[in-house]
Amino acid sequence: MQQVFILGVNFSEQKLVSKALQSFYALGPRACERIMAKYTIYRLAKVGSLAPKTVTSLTAELSQMTLDSDAKKIMQDNIRRLKDIGSLRGRRHAMGMPVRGQRTRTQTATAKKLNRLDRRF
Amino acid sequence: MQATRALLKRSVWKGPHLVPLPIVWPKSADDKVPPVRTQARSATILPNFVGLRFEVHNGKEYNRVLITEDMVGHKLGEFAPTRRGIVWDKRKRG
Repeated sequence: MQQVFILGVNFSEQKLVSKALQSFYALGPRACERIMAKYTIYRLAKVGSLAPKTVTSLTAELSQMTLDSDAKKIMQDNIRRLKDIGSLRGRRHAMGMPVRGQRTRTQTATAKKLNRLDRRF
Repeated sequence: MQATRALLKRSVWKGPHLVPLPIVWPKSADDKVPPVRTQARSATILPNFVGLRFEVHNGKEYNRVLITEDMVGHKLGEFAPTRRGIVWDKRKRG
């Protein structure tokens, strides 16, 4: 099976372009739609159907954006800042509790999983 | 995209939530002023508050807050928690 490299990541030829793009952290449906429109890739296009020239320009486009570890670092810095200034939101992150006034009697699984100073992704 | 995020929390035309606070401005850098005692927890921290000391009401007593640059744009009440954490009695557990 052939593989296609986009921004140093290997994608199989059968993968949808939109799925491949959105596999990067901080690249969601909106940004994906914009990029695909820019390079006139249709919605259900597979990675294998892209011309090599498009693949290189996609990689160039993505390397300009803040993605993956850079974006995660921004997120962690924001949480760290909230904690350092001693705000309620920062303290709730440190406690692993809901941050925006949700109930805590039941249903706090997502908060317990995600809310911490060193955020898991 | 992040710029709109910050704007979404409050209508722009309203501006920040301004509350008349009894602030005594220090005349010089080493001028000692008493902390600003207030119950206005919803007052937005403005850039010119940086360096001032506040005493923010938490419903029972006044918590001391020293305003730093990062706090600008937040509310005073965010720095005075209104609830005490639950502490279970560890002696009973054994």
